[in-house]
Amino acid sequence: MKPYFEKMTTFGHALKKGRIKCTEANLAGIEKAEDEIKEEVDRVKLAGFSEEKINARGQMTVWQRLEYLVDPGTWRPLHTLFNPMNNEEGTTNVIDGIGKISGKWAVIIGFDNKVMAGAWLPGQSENILRVTDLAKRLNIPLVWLVNCSGAKLTEQEKFYANRRGAGTPFFRHAELEQMGIPVLAGIYGTNPAGGGYQSISPTILFAHKDCNIAVGGIGIVSGMAPKGKFDIEAAEEIIEKAKQFKAKPPGSVNVHYDETGFFRYVFEDETGVLDGIKEYMKDMPAYAPKFFRVADPKEPAFPIDDLYRLVPLNPKRVYDFEEVLARLVDAGEHMEFRPDYGPEVYTGLCKVDGFLMACIGNRQEYLGKHYPEYADYPGMGGKLYRQGLIKLNEFVTLCGRDRVPIIWFQDSSGLDVGDAAEKAELLGLAQGLVYSIQQTDIPMMLLLLRKGTASAHYLMGGPTANRHNAFTIGTVASEIYVMHGETAAVATYSRRLVKEKEAGRPLEPIVEKMNQLAKEYHEKSRPLFCAKTGMIDEIVPMRDLRKYFVAFAGAAYQNPKSICPQHHLILPRIIKG
Amino acid sequence: MALKRRTTMTQKILAPLDGKVFQVTVKPGDTVEEDEEILVIEAMKMETPIFVPCDGVVKEVSVKEGDDVMENDILAVID
Repeated sequence: MKPYFEKMTTFGHALKKGRIKCTEANLAGIEKAEDEIKEEVDRVKLAGFSEEKINARGQMTVWQRLEYLVDPGTWRPLHTLFNPMNNEEGTTNVIDGIGKISGKWAVIIGFDNKVMAGAWLPGQSENILRVTDLAKRLNIPLVWLVNCSGAKLTEQEKFYANRRGAGTPFFRHAELEQMGIPVLAGIYGTNPAGGGYQSISPTILFAHKDCNIAVGGIGIVSGMAPKGKFDIEAAEEIIEKAKQFKAKPPGSVNVHYDETGFFRYVFEDETGVLDGIKEYMKDMPAYAPKFFRVADPKEPAFPIDDLYRLVPLNPKRVYDFEEVLARLVDAGEHMEFRPDYGPEVYTGLCKVDGFLMACIGNRQEYLGKHYPEYADYPGMGGKLYRQGLIKLNEFVTLCGRDRVPIIWFQDSSGLDVGDAAEKAELLGLAQGLVYSIQQTDIPMMLLLLRKGTASAHYLMGGPTANRHNAFTIGTVASEIYVMHGETAAVATYSRRLVKEKEAGRPLEPIVEKMNQLAKEYHEKSRPLFCAKTGMIDEIVPMRDLRKYFVAFAGAAYQNPKSICPQHHLILPRIIKG
Repeated sequence: MALKRRTTMTQKILAPLDGKVFQVTVKPGDTVEEDEEILVIEAMKMETPIFVPCDGVVKEVSVKEGDDVMENDILAVID
């Protein structure tokens, strides 16, 4: 298929002097906001005991383990700021992301042994389930660095039970294994109770010599016979039992390597455990990239730092989507699907690291007086109209047929509304897009470039597409809300304003409430809030966005469950005509 | 010796859409460079920046902030 993909149509332009001159403030604003996010990320990294203290105990921190394990330059963190239950520790206590190990992509997750020896915390199981979902979607190995002291007992009611509680990941591990997706686990430290199941549920266990895994640990063994109250005599008894088990915790290597054989390997050194995982990763099922690449990998045609000038931090400011895309895909080349139809959305085939990727994004500019064709008002980019929805339905369906993964770029204020839009069948076409996405079985990722609003956030590859959205990344310009805060304030209080006015009462109290609501919307739509609550899986500096695309492309094509031969692809033929 | 004649071209900047002038960032006599933003039109809740297509000097700014403009109205003239 060389004629199609080796040299595709070029697009985008180099920045000119004038644009550079007038975008200094935007650049500075984005960099400042990115610095603020980095401070939050650093705070998570520094949570709990210091690296020195952990190292003094003869242990590596989870961050040191990750650095040793993951191929240099390939770590793409996810969920770093995820803390939906607002834990005082500032973390769910697992660190995860995508990275290469021994040249192969894996989803990697580890307990932060600096914080309560890797305890279960509120929100953690939700974090883990996102990670198991990711391995499932991308069909790549899940690698665990287990070091889990069990539940934070003082807050167990927040996470132990329930449908997506702390035990659910064990079922997900079983599900992955039944799908043929291996779960490798390096095991360190003391892993009682929940930690025991975290350790036993993976496929192959690589143990450090000092680790132990058990149904119950020292705390449970010591307190297994409730007497209705505690007294001094009971306390003395507990002390005696605790000392005994501290000397010899249950489920050590002696038991689970020598007796049960649960541990496949035991290593003297912490790094030995990681070397064992690396060795196994060499043998994980994976196609060589050349199997699926359509061309040699190339860097984008223009500097990625241009994004700091091209993507306005001001959400009302329009920009040229294709200029953004040209900074992120190989060689600034593409094949656009139906360029003369549905102008509010871009749909096209691009290359990322030599792999064929479908890209979909909202255009932002004014669409002219004669579009949408069904209305007597002009259209504006960022909104979805009839043609755009039809085009999206077609494109997604064809991507599914051709097995081309999709990168969605979202910056939408929602769908067109009003009777003209209803007559133009937007509601049916929108749910039709949900149907189109759901009937495909291809990995998708979302870059929430700026606005995720109204149903457009669902429709355009948002995380609500549970089976398809592998992950969602955002920028410091991202914001998510059902509608703009001021719109919400009007929707909430307009009738009340009328009533108060007619009753001759002062309007100031209502106006104050409206301003308060708009302010709350603003605060609860900011990138940090979105990352903390999980609406975005990671806030990524703009200059690192392509790295996530490369990781997604490499992972999606590493071991796909279904293949379309390149010479059977229909989309490029439709585009060519 | 051939005489070099200095030629000037005038470039009119037209409104691409109906809207309200939200911001004007240049004044007559300012030097501008190709693709520099000179004003912003607000319409349909969005702000559309207007960029100059060439290097030059602002000869005239035909609108001020708050003005309503129609598509193809002259916004500014660049020499």
